[in-house]
Amino acid sequence: MSTGTVAGAEKGTARRAPLVALRGVTHSFGAVRALVDVDLDVHAREVVAVVGDNGAGKSTLAAVVAGALVPDAGEVVVDGDEVALTSPAEARRLGIAMAFQDLALCDDLDIVENIFLGQELRRGGVLDEVAMESEAERLLASLAARVPSVRAPVAALSGGQRQAVAIARSLLGDPRVLVLDEPTAALGVTQTAEVLNIVERVRDQGHGVLLVSHSMTDVQAVADRIVVLRRGRLNGVFDASRTGYEDIIAAITGVGPGLRRGGERS
Amino acid sequence: MARDRATPGSQTSLREANRARILSAVQQRGSLTQVELAGVTGLSAATISNIVKELTVAGVLATAPTSRSGRRAQEVSLARNLGLVAGVHFAERSLRVAVADVSLRVVAEQRLPLPYEHRADEGLDRVGMLLDEMVDSLGAAPDEVLAVGVGLAAPVDTATGTVSADGVLHGWEGVAVGAQLGARLGVPVRVDNDANLGGLAELRLGAARGARDAVYVRVAQGVGIGVLVGGRVVHGRVGAAGEIGHLPVVDDGEPCRCGNRGCLETVVGSAALTARVAGTHGPLLLRDLVARAHDDDVVRAVVEDAGRVLGRALSGACLLLDPEVVVVGGDLARAGEVLLGPLRTALHARALRTSAGPVPVVAAQLGEQAEVRGGVVAALEAARVTVGLGPEVGA
Repeated sequence: MSTGTVAGAEKGTARRAPLVALRGVTHSFGAVRALVDVDLDVHAREVVAVVGDNGAGKSTLAAVVAGALVPDAGEVVVDGDEVALTSPAEARRLGIAMAFQDLALCDDLDIVENIFLGQELRRGGVLDEVAMESEAERLLASLAARVPSVRAPVAALSGGQRQAVAIARSLLGDPRVLVLDEPTAALGVTQTAEVLNIVERVRDQGHGVLLVSHSMTDVQAVADRIVVLRRGRLNGVFDASRTGYEDIIAAITGVGPGLRRGGERS
Repeated sequence: MARDRATPGSQTSLREANRARILSAVQQRGSLTQVELAGVTGLSAATISNIVKELTVAGVLATAPTSRSGRRAQEVSLARNLGLVAGVHFAERSLRVAVADVSLRVVAEQRLPLPYEHRADEGLDRVGMLLDEMVDSLGAAPDEVLAVGVGLAAPVDTATGTVSADGVLHGWEGVAVGAQLGARLGVPVRVDNDANLGGLAELRLGAARGARDAVYVRVAQGVGIGVLVGGRVVHGRVGAAGEIGHLPVVDDGEPCRCGNRGCLETVVGSAALTARVAGTHGPLLLRDLVARAHDDDVVRAVVEDAGRVLGRALSGACLLLDPEVVVVGGDLARAGEVLLGPLRTALHARALRTSAGPVPVVAAQLGEQAEVRGGVVAALEAARVTVGLGPEVGA
């Protein structure tokens, strides 16, 4: 099952250093302070969920990690070295990939074409359709994604299947950290189930996952740690395997102290 | 079992009773041959043949040629188009729903990860939505679902369909699961403990097939056993039979969620196992442990220890019940022989040496589907299948 296992993430000791870390990241849009002094760690084989109210800074945080936004202040640390994530391409080069909220899939192309869009495999100057098809099949199989055929047009897929294709595309080139922005938004319960199973699989393959979502149930179901943002500030980091719903809601809405039962600052 | 009707002794009532007997036997086992039917019901081969023919014409049963021990035989099952049954398993961190036809063939399955301390109202709501969508994706109508069997990771009073112990499954205490889901779906809902259902499935369809007395142990977040005696699940007063996870194994041990101390679960439950490797490996989940059980020496030792403790605890159950087989299921069982080897050794070392030899200890054949398949089996038993010619059978 672990076809896409990330090298070095297999042994127990690899857990110590985070793959990606933010240190004191601050960003403003004009007068709006979207992120204020935020710290964040994403380790290998870990799903870190970012939750918060509308406008709490979740998507801004995801954009910073994915290189889509350069913060005003603070450090981004990859593998212990401070880096400048000036573009999504630079982030990709460092092993951070993002699947976007609007999926950015082309409806009239098939699954293989979508997965390899802009990064087609070539052999002797022509497209290597066979290799791309088998790689697409391998990626989707490793996610246990249920799609009719890799040559089916994306327009014919359900919301959950489209999300699977988007995730498969971001896994191309075996990134170490995957950033997912609202992967279950506007999905039915069956499709949500499929996406959540895929998130678990991506994690189990050894990838780090940064999951941004407003759906508490989905977040709590798959996350290892839950980071709560409130008005751009960190308002608690929780161990998802022993923190109940009320504690996280309390942190989101700002009731009581940020660090409560089971909370540990990373 | 249906009882004979008001005019006992008459040819008609006898025939009706026999029909009901055959139907209920098929309903319980999913499918079986006419010869096996004769063995189960005690009816003559000729009677069986006649009634099966009659019920096949009536569209209730279906027959297919098969072979048993190299001889031709007629396999009898309920007619596919009778409807669908669904199994539901609420584990500690996941929900599994399976839809099967009345021959117990699973036609759709879905798994949904669940949050820590998930709630009953939201969970039951999601079951309703999942079932609707799954049935719809099969091209079937919602009213084709005949019954639902639900497994919960807690002792369940099967008479009322409610969780009967406090502190074991947060957010589910006092919830009338059977009644709520029944009202939402409009079908009979049977609720049971998940280890009981896993045991039922392994007995009917899996590793304990053919046995009458068996023990199914489910090792996941918690530990529980399904006690099977005479081919049936033993529930006890309010469904708490087999709650071996709360057997005290350490004097003055760690406090358990049930309120006592030193329970088996505080030693081999997932929280205890992952805590033991947290120092060396950081926070791991149970499935991370299972994935590393073969390659990582530290993890391997922890799983082996758990096997030994489980073996010791199960030796008591085996002395009480003398089962034909011990089936090990649940998430931790996927570690295979790393768990089963030490468990077997510890169990056999403490067993009474009988003429039957040491009890076989085997892995669950249905794997992580055992509990949800048990839900399907229970649902089929609860389904009201009308014969059209005679009385209703089942609950």
